This record gives sequence, C-alpha cells and structure tokens, in this order.
Amino acid sequence: MTLQTHPDRGGPGTPLLQAKTLTKHFPLGGGAVVRAVDGVDFAVMKGETLGVVGESGCGKSTTARVVMQLIPQDKGDMLFDGEIVGGQALTLKEYRRQAQMVFQDSYASLNPRLTIEDSIAFGPTVHGVSKANAILKARDLLQRVGLDPARFAARYPHELSGGQRQRVNIARALALGPRLVILDEAVSALDKSVEAQVLNLLADLREEFGLTYIFISHDLNVVRFISDRVMVMYLGEVVEIGPVEELYDDPRHPYTKALLSAMPSMDPDNRTMEAPLAGDPPNPINPPEGCRFHPRCPHAQTVCAKVKPILATVGEGARQVACHMQVPGSGHSHAPALEVAA
Amino acid sequence: MSAIAQGNAAVIVPPLAKSPGYWAGVWRRFKTDKVAVGAGLVVLAIILMAIFADYIAPADPTRSSMLRRLRPIGTPGYPLGADELGRDMLSRLIFGARLSLFMGVVPVFIAFIIGSVIGVAAGFFGGKFNTITMRTVDVFYAFPSVLLAIALSGALGAGITNSLLSLTIVFIPPIARIAESVTTQVRSMDYVEAARASGANALTIIRVHVLGNVLGPIFVYATSLISVSMILASGLSFLGLGTKPPTPEWGLMLNTLRTAIYVQPWVAALPGAAIFITSISFNLLSDGLRSAMDVKG
Repeated sequence: MTLQTHPDRGGPGTPLLQAKTLTKHFPLGGGAVVRAVDGVDFAVMKGETLGVVGESGCGKSTTARVVMQLIPQDKGDMLFDGEIVGGQALTLKEYRRQAQMVFQDSYASLNPRLTIEDSIAFGPTVHGVSKANAILKARDLLQRVGLDPARFAARYPHELSGGQRQRVNIARALALGPRLVILDEAVSALDKSVEAQVLNLLADLREEFGLTYIFISHDLNVVRFISDRVMVMYLGEVVEIGPVEELYDDPRHPYTKALLSAMPSMDPDNRTMEAPLAGDPPNPINPPEGCRFHPRCPHAQTVCAKVKPILATVGEGARQVACHMQVPGSGHSHAPALEVAA
Repeated sequence: MSAIAQGNAAVIVPPLAKSPGYWAGVWRRFKTDKVAVGAGLVVLAIILMAIFADYIAPADPTRSSMLRRLRPIGTPGYPLGADELGRDMLSRLIFGARLSLFMGVVPVFIAFIIGSVIGVAAGFFGGKFNTITMRTVDVFYAFPSVLLAIALSGALGAGITNSLLSLTIVFIPPIARIAESVTTQVRSMDYVEAARASGANALTIIRVHVLGNVLGPIFVYATSLISVSMILASGLSFLGLGTKPPTPEWGLMLNTLRTAIYVQPWVAALPGAAIFITSISFNLLSDGLRSAMDVKG
C-alpha cells in the first residue's frame, strides 16, 4: 500500500488553514493560568509562507504545537481546507498526514537509536506503507534534501552535523506527503552559512511539492527572506498581519516598529538611532488590561489601558493591525479622523 | 509524491553499508574499561562454574562424614576444608553457586519486566495515571528492602518459591521508579513529539521510540540489583526462610557454619567470600556497562 495524495478541495487562492480564536491557557495551580495563546485568529493561504515573529514567550511555539495538535486547544477551531480538524470528515490521524512539523533542536528530534532512513520511514509505516516501500521513499527523500542515501541512509543521528540532521528532519516531515509544514525555529540553531543553504532548500521544496509553510522564527531577516506574509505576536495575541514587504517597510503597530528597529542595520551610515524597546514583556500570567502592549508603548494613552484593541483591517485590506491608533474614533489622539457621512 | 512509493509489497531494498552503530560504540568503550572487563570475566566464570558444577566439583556436596568435621583449608581430599558435617567445602561452594545465582538473577529479571511495564506506562501516560501508579509503588518503596523481604517471606512461609516471590516484590518498586523517570525524560524529547505528529498511536511510539531508549538504563540499574538480591536471598536462608538443608546455598552455609567461627574461622568465612566476590563483580560490571552506554553525540 502506498500513501494517496490529497485532493485539493477549495482550489488555489483559498485558505489552507484557518485558525479561529485559538486559545491555550496552561494552569499553574492555585488558580493562576499562563495565557500562552489567547484568542489567535489567522489564515494561511495555499502555497504561501506565513512568517510568525515575536519575542521569546510570546506564544509562537505554543501556537505551532496547537496547530500541529500536539497539545489540544482550550477554545477555538481550526479549519483545514474547509474541514474542521479532528472532526468527522478530517480525523486527527488524517490531519497529521497533511500537516507536519520541523523542530528547532535537530538532535533531540531524531531518535538516537534509529538509523536516519528508519526515522524517515517511520511515519509512512504508521499509515500502512510497507517497510520496504517506506525505506525506498526515505532514500528518495534523502536525495531530495541533498544527502546522498548511499552515504547517509544507514547512519545514526550523532554521526551527522547539525545542518545534515535538520535536512533529515525536513525529509522526515515530508515523508507523509504533507500540504502544510510548520517550521518552528527550524533554522535558528544552525550556522549562518548552513542556515542559508537550508533556507534555499526549503524554498526549493516548497516549489517542488507545492507546500504551504508556517515559518516561526525570531530572526527578522530570515523571515523577510522566506515569507509571503508575516504575523507579529505579542503576549499570546496577534498584533499585526500583513504582506512581508508592506509590513517591513511600513509597520503600523508600535510593537512591530520597535521589533523592526531592533534589527541590526547592515549599513553603518544608517545606524539604528531609536532606543530599543525597554523592559521585558509583561507576565503572561497576569497580562495588562486593555492593550497588552501599553505599558511599553511610547504612544500609550488612557484608552489603551482600558479598551482592548481588536485586530482590524487597515488600508487596502491585506493588513490587519490591533492598535487604537489605526482605528478611527477609538479615542486615541493619533487615530485617524472619523469619516463624516456625507 | 506517491509515485515514489509505487510498487508491490515485494520490493527489495538494497542493503547499505551499515555504520558501526550504537552497540559497537558501547562495546568499544567497555573493552577499554579493565575493571569492568575483569568483573565480567569473573561473573562469566561463576556462571560457568554453576552450569558445569557436576563436572567440576571433586566430591558429592551432600556426602557427610562425622570423622572429618571442620577440617582446615588444605586438608588432603578437602582443598577448602570440610564443614560442620564433614562435607567438602569446595564442592558445596561450587554447587551453591547454582542456587545463589538463581536467587540473584531470577527475582531481578522478573522484577525488571514487571517494573519496566509499570514505570514505562506511568512515565509515558503521565498525569493522574502516573500519580496513582507511582504513589502505590511508593508504599512498597517506603519499607527497607531487607525488612520487606523478611516480612513477605515470613508471611508466605519458608521455601525457595516464596523467597523468590518476596524478592521479586521487593525489587519491583525501585525498578519501576527508575523506569518512570527515564521514560518521563524521553517522552518530552522532540522525536517523540514528531512521532505523535506523524499520527502514531501510543503503543507504536513506545515500541519504536521509547523502549529502545529506556531499556538500556533500566537494565543497567537492574544488573546492580543482582548482588543485592543474592545478599537478601542469602539473608533469608540465613534466617531459615529460604533454602532448607542439606541443599548447598551460600547464605545457608554461612548460617550453619557460624557456630564454627571460633574453630575454623577461614572455612566459616568462605561462603561469605563467595557472596562478596560475586556481588562486587556484578556491581563493577553494571558500573562499567553504565559508563559505556552513557554517551552523547
């Protein structure tokens, strides 16, 4: 038996994955909860790469794990190509063939007692592919990720370099023929030169297999290189989503501005002169009232501490920002004027 | 994508040159550890001695002679002397290895299987199941092992089967605890997450990804319990709860010879020496195995 390909149901240009008010709170005991992911809404279109950026602890990885259903969400739904994930039409097991994940730690994500071809072949055998076929497929995938099967297939993870291991992890993720691949800091632990190679490989594989990526990273340059759209997260919430160039050239949310201005400049004549963001992100156990960013925001006003801004469409429609300064009539002095009905 | 995997079930996968692999590395490191290799050879010698006791022993271990009681070491015909009933000490020590090894290895082996099942299940499934299982195990763990073994044996009655049973019960809790802690570590590794992400069920993940990584450490720990088991078994026999005379067993021999400690101290100390050498060899062997298996990268 071999794996069947998945028919595209909605056609191109429709969302492959839609997350609706996805929420994950971790109870700490004593009534306290960590609001790791707090009502996140986003969509990933077919064939695109959605970059996810944010500080440590902003809920990027928890979002990835919930999307992968490694941990169940407390609230919210996910639609995969129009079907509810874990519902009647798309069981969890079936969903897991179509969505796969690559982790940051290339060593910890490979079983040290299995040869790499066995590691890659494991997934297909779970779904009923014969061992021999799965091994053949594993070798083919090794070839495609740039590792000569004759040299590498029978090796163990500790005999490979970090970059080679991450290629194996990518091959393992592709073994089930997924449509969505979640890359959780997948290149962050690699050397710069190796990182570039793996990024190019990821871009090539996306073309070759028609993949959709959710690319999570704290490295803004890398995200700019690989992403079509970028989602900025702060303290378990989405603060801004938009096409990559638009968002990088004209960030609308003060947090996005601060994040981008913290990027080291490549041009010594054009140094970053703005002061970096002060302080640590607030505690996600007791996030601030109103806008969660207001204690660190240079433009914070009374309204920001009281009213929680919602993620609203701004401008031409591709941008969404959760900031009172972007919403007419929000009560913030920088907000655009209300259009008076003619 | 699926075209790659086309073909019938009779696909022949060409074999590739295998890399040396994990166990080759363990063996290579183990070989350089002279103490562990020495201990391993001693253990091997004792096992062979027990198996071939019929051929090695110079005399019948149960043939007594009232005329030759408590002969010193070196008496002609009695290379290691004679015990309180005039039986050949050398032959009794050789035959005694059978029961002593049996009482050392078998309870630990059974406890290794049961304890691993309990510990791996508790560690892998976690949560309430883990709490309930491990707290139950802790109830047994709270007793000192000697006391628990004696209490169980005393309650069940004397005899080999009953001491086997009580020793097994004594060793299940410590093995289950080790198994649980190792499994909890492995469970949080990304490769287990990745296996879950590929849709595998719990049993498949345990079989393919967990057991291979936890059985080694559990096994090494269990090996170190063999010596404890031998000593406890000897203790039970010494108290009259284990083997019954005239069966040769080191603990029982120690017990019956203790009255002769002032008459023939060297002869009386021999079974104790045998227990000591065997248990320390098992301990050194398991230490060597542990350091040989403990590698990263």
